[in-house]
Amino acid sequence: MTTEVTGAGSASSPHPGSSGQAPEQRSRGGRRGDAEQVRRTREVSTGFIVSRIAVLGIVAALLIYALPPLIQTEAWTALGVVGVVTALVAYLYLTPRHIPAKYLVPGTIFLIAFAIVPIVLTFITAFTNFGDGHRGTKDEAIRAIETSSVTQVPGSPEYYLTIAESDGKMVFLLVDPATKAVQAGTADGLSPVAGADVSLTGKVLSAAGYTVIPTAQAAERDAEIAAFSVPTAGGAVKATGLSRAFEGKADKSYDAACDCVTSPSGGRWVADEVEGYFVDAEGKHLDQGWKVDVGFANFAKALTDPTISGHFLNVLIWNFVFALSAVATTFALGMIVALALHSPRVRGTKFYRIMLILPYAMPGFAMLLIWRDMFNTDFGLISKLFGVHDWLGTPTTARLGLIVINLWMGFPYMFLVITGALQAVPRELTDAARIDGASAWAGFRRVTLPLVLVALTPLLISSFGFNFNNFNNIKLVTNGGPYAIDNSTVGATDLLISYTYRVAGFDSGVADFGFAAAISVFIFAIVATVSTVAFWRSRAQEEVYS
Amino acid sequence: MKWLREVGWRYAVVLVVCAFALFPVLFVVSAAINPLGTLGSTGLIPEGASLKNFVDLLTGDHPFTKWFLNSVIIALISAFAGLLISVAAAYAFSRMRFRGRRVGLLSILLIQMFPQFLAIVAIFIVFTEVTELYPTFGFNKPWGLLVLYLGGALGVNTYLMKGYLDTVPKEIDESATMDGASHVQTFFRIILPLVGPVLAVTAMLSFIGTINEFLIANVFLRDTEAKTLAVGMYGMLTDKRDANFGMFAAATLLTAIPTVSLFLWLQKYIVSGLTAGAVKG
Amino acid sequence: MRIRTAGVIAAAGLLMLGVAACGGTNEPAATPSKDKGNGKLVLWTDPTRAPVLKPFAEAFGKENGVTVEVKEISENQQQTFITASQQGSGPDIMVGAHDWIGNMVQNGAIDPVQLTAEQKAAFHPNAIKAVTFNGQIYGAPYAMENVALIRNTELVPTAPATIEDLIKTGKELKAAKKVQEILCVPFGAAGDVYHTYPLFSAAGGSLFGTTASGDPDPSKVTVNTPESIAALEKMKALGEKGEGAIKTSIGNENGIPSFVQKKCAFLISGPWSMNDVKKAGFAYDITAVPGFAAGGQAKPFLGVQAFYVAAKGKSKVLAQEFVANYVTNKDVALALYNADPRPAALTAAADAVKSLDPNAEKFVLAGANGIPMPAIPAMGAIWGPMANAEVAVVKGGDAKTAAEAAAKTITAEINK
Repeated sequence: MTTEVTGAGSASSPHPGSSGQAPEQRSRGGRRGDAEQVRRTREVSTGFIVSRIAVLGIVAALLIYALPPLIQTEAWTALGVVGVVTALVAYLYLTPRHIPAKYLVPGTIFLIAFAIVPIVLTFITAFTNFGDGHRGTKDEAIRAIETSSVTQVPGSPEYYLTIAESDGKMVFLLVDPATKAVQAGTADGLSPVAGADVSLTGKVLSAAGYTVIPTAQAAERDAEIAAFSVPTAGGAVKATGLSRAFEGKADKSYDAACDCVTSPSGGRWVADEVEGYFVDAEGKHLDQGWKVDVGFANFAKALTDPTISGHFLNVLIWNFVFALSAVATTFALGMIVALALHSPRVRGTKFYRIMLILPYAMPGFAMLLIWRDMFNTDFGLISKLFGVHDWLGTPTTARLGLIVINLWMGFPYMFLVITGALQAVPRELTDAARIDGASAWAGFRRVTLPLVLVALTPLLISSFGFNFNNFNNIKLVTNGGPYAIDNSTVGATDLLISYTYRVAGFDSGVADFGFAAAISVFIFAIVATVSTVAFWRSRAQEEVYS
Repeated sequence: MKWLREVGWRYAVVLVVCAFALFPVLFVVSAAINPLGTLGSTGLIPEGASLKNFVDLLTGDHPFTKWFLNSVIIALISAFAGLLISVAAAYAFSRMRFRGRRVGLLSILLIQMFPQFLAIVAIFIVFTEVTELYPTFGFNKPWGLLVLYLGGALGVNTYLMKGYLDTVPKEIDESATMDGASHVQTFFRIILPLVGPVLAVTAMLSFIGTINEFLIANVFLRDTEAKTLAVGMYGMLTDKRDANFGMFAAATLLTAIPTVSLFLWLQKYIVSGLTAGAVKG
Repeated sequence: MRIRTAGVIAAAGLLMLGVAACGGTNEPAATPSKDKGNGKLVLWTDPTRAPVLKPFAEAFGKENGVTVEVKEISENQQQTFITASQQGSGPDIMVGAHDWIGNMVQNGAIDPVQLTAEQKAAFHPNAIKAVTFNGQIYGAPYAMENVALIRNTELVPTAPATIEDLIKTGKELKAAKKVQEILCVPFGAAGDVYHTYPLFSAAGGSLFGTTASGDPDPSKVTVNTPESIAALEKMKALGEKGEGAIKTSIGNENGIPSFVQKKCAFLISGPWSMNDVKKAGFAYDITAVPGFAAGGQAKPFLGVQAFYVAAKGKSKVLAQEFVANYVTNKDVALALYNADPRPAALTAAADAVKSLDPNAEKFVLAGANGIPMPAIPAMGAIWGPMANAEVAVVKGGDAKTAAEAAAKTITAEINK
């Protein structure tokens, strides 16, 4: 029971949520006198009550903040979810049970909202044609087609517009710039207005029977004005802003009877629910399409399209080479310097550590551009040092170059984590190995390396996963190039991810998200398989050493 | 001779690697102090030396100091909050045995590897509604960006800490539990003080990750005043044909200052074990 | 205590979670009720233009009694705008290059702008042509830009009449150690179709055929016609294995600086280079990129910056007022020019500044033969493969092979 009760935590803190207490507690940790021990036990019950009240208070505050907007917008589903999740969290922190969940839930909530939701979204998208030209619903496409086809009725006046009211209803007061005649436009049509006072710029200042709405007030009624249209013989008068109006006519309109878009000038485009386009007899489609479900078509295309499958193996091999060498080189260099500095006999370690961390502290995209320029054939530093060569234009050197750049950007990370991990390796262990007569190298291999690896294997796996999809380095330095003369689809340094990016049209500004999503699933399958195998193998290792 | 074998090689390695680490940085320095500075044409030795680019940067059209503050504040808060979330999870994974533990561990490793082609679309889907309902956490607000960054808190950093916790002998907290300490007390008063180095490393990693984050911040922050350094600086390069590389280089150097300062401060925690003789409890 | 702190954070995340789960479903229902004009106008642009546009936007707001917010998107503006619009958190007005129009239209992100005959007549015809797509005008142009030949008149007093002349002069200067490079045309390791287009077009090359109405026709890709292959041959002759006038080692990052540092006497660039060129402190002149001795004229791409009315904005009428009736005003265009001196699209404004800034006028003249960059979505498929083909020939590769490969990739992408 005691264990449960003390679950309240740092009972001595009177300020829930105040983080200022942390260092104090940390320094107190471990050593505690008997008197203190006794005091703690006594405080436990107060802490228990205080903490439970705090949980309830937070839950209440949360609901007060979260619920009103949801009720106001009648978002009942969201309301339900918030309610249920809040209740679950409240229960979790009130009950003495489910201890692991108490520690895991905060991170999990964020993980679900911002990491898993995008993944689920990607999966769903993979079964659609979502992308440029197919982003919205069919209704949105129809609206866009109709709006885009509105043209001015030939020969109609380009009216000056004043927005007014009559009997509480909106009226467009229209002034013909040529004749200065004033007309009132309502939902019923146009009617002449006599004796209106019109300014030089064509604004109606006053008119009998109408109240002119000042601009600022008209601006408040934007949506109303946008929706307002005055029917005429040739079409309808619509506002162009607050000061002009024109008589327009939509050239294309949707006909639900034939599920098609027709134009008086003769065009006819029938809805194709498979492609998500309106298509004419010749097979040409209107620009605006909509999102449709395509089943497994994107996956099938990724597997069968020769531009993809034809290069897949080459890209995959280089992708593995890149990711593995990225991990191996950064780990090796990080380890070497971390070990070199892991000695009380080296002076100035603080200074060296800062120098070594600098590549990591600089903004990555800026440094990638600088590296690209250093590899410039005629003017770059590398050419000055090693002779003029088309470094990034030759497949081998471009690949080597990318690995070097990646080493530069990545080794400080490894250096940092290895330095941290080395602190956990008891020096007595390494010393003991030394006394046993083992050489420094053997000591490192038998004692230090395995211990560091236990802690770091998952990081290496994660680093592999990151570099497998290291889009930025490729995109900013070589953009996949160099390309063979007869192949502008895939370059020598393309990773699957940069390749997908191009094939799915992101480079050209006409993105096919559905297709990209399908390939993402494949890429993920590859990385996940490799990582899982490595993970289980490292698990076996963990059992041995811990 | 013995010195050379035991200590000398250390200096040699460190100096060579330092040279490798620093020469691209020297490039930036040279471009930054060159009044006609351009990244493309500057050599390692600047053609002129002046602080003009820095002065222009701090007094020019760009609210550089504001960006600087935004970045530091967001990165610090998100590093701290992320650390708490992450170390709590690591504690559970390292010390407790429960159903779904292995699957959970593997999942957080794999989730972060998913290619994020639709990240921007997802952000808009989620945050358009959030902005309408709870403007404090919506677009253009640092709080919104912050919670978004916490989506990555349960990731590789959790592993880093779990790995380190695994090396802390279990007897330590077992004896604490025998003394009547609860799991919360064990966590805050015994475990946390022992894992100082890894906390410092993780804080560092998450700070750097946030301060250099560009993709999400770019769609999230639209007011000039609300931007972070990475977004603001990328903006200086947007019209790439008209970019002032000298000022950009100066900005790049200044960006490194918060990171280096944080490292200066955290370094003593990272290497505390070095002299204290590692983990003894 | 820590756990409680975490609880607060978790709770905040929880809200997001709840909303995330339902965001997709309740959005359409919620939109109409909220979608009342709110007397607020939001404009998105890039960071370079934001400070320039702010005072004008604010003046408009004051005039109409509304608040105007100018927001800047640092990178990837077009995709961000389209995605945001689709989800309902986009702006009312977007500012950007005219070649985005095709993609914005097919996504239903922008509405046509109804300009009066008088308003249309006030613009440079090329500017109106650029913002016209499928017979509709989709934006109000405000600035035009195109590349021209900028030369150091201290080294080259008279403008070369042909590209051959240019190469000859450049080589002589190089032999005399007065310059290091014959020509600075930004090309880079990845190629640059835009900057080299005057040369490619002068040699007879083209990208698309034209439809009956004179618009570029994506169903007729012409990069592998005999004319285009011949043009690539000429680029090969100018390339690294030939004259050495086009080089992959000169790109955007060092093209302008090399000219400013007198490493080359000729530069092909646009109005954006003027800031740096003026600082260089030597005399220069701006002329059209010449043609080849035997061949047609060089036709640089014309780019137009324009204002667009977002189709899913919340204040559409205000946005139309701003785009159709405010920025098309001569005084506003003039003030815009003064804040950001790029050749104005409004003829009256361009004329007014002619005497003040001869450079702007010279760029407009140099672009007289230019063609508006095609705004059709298919243009996106051109850039990558075409740049690869140009890189291949500049490095000495076979023109026909390169052209056929590019045509194949482009056609596949367009018919996707």
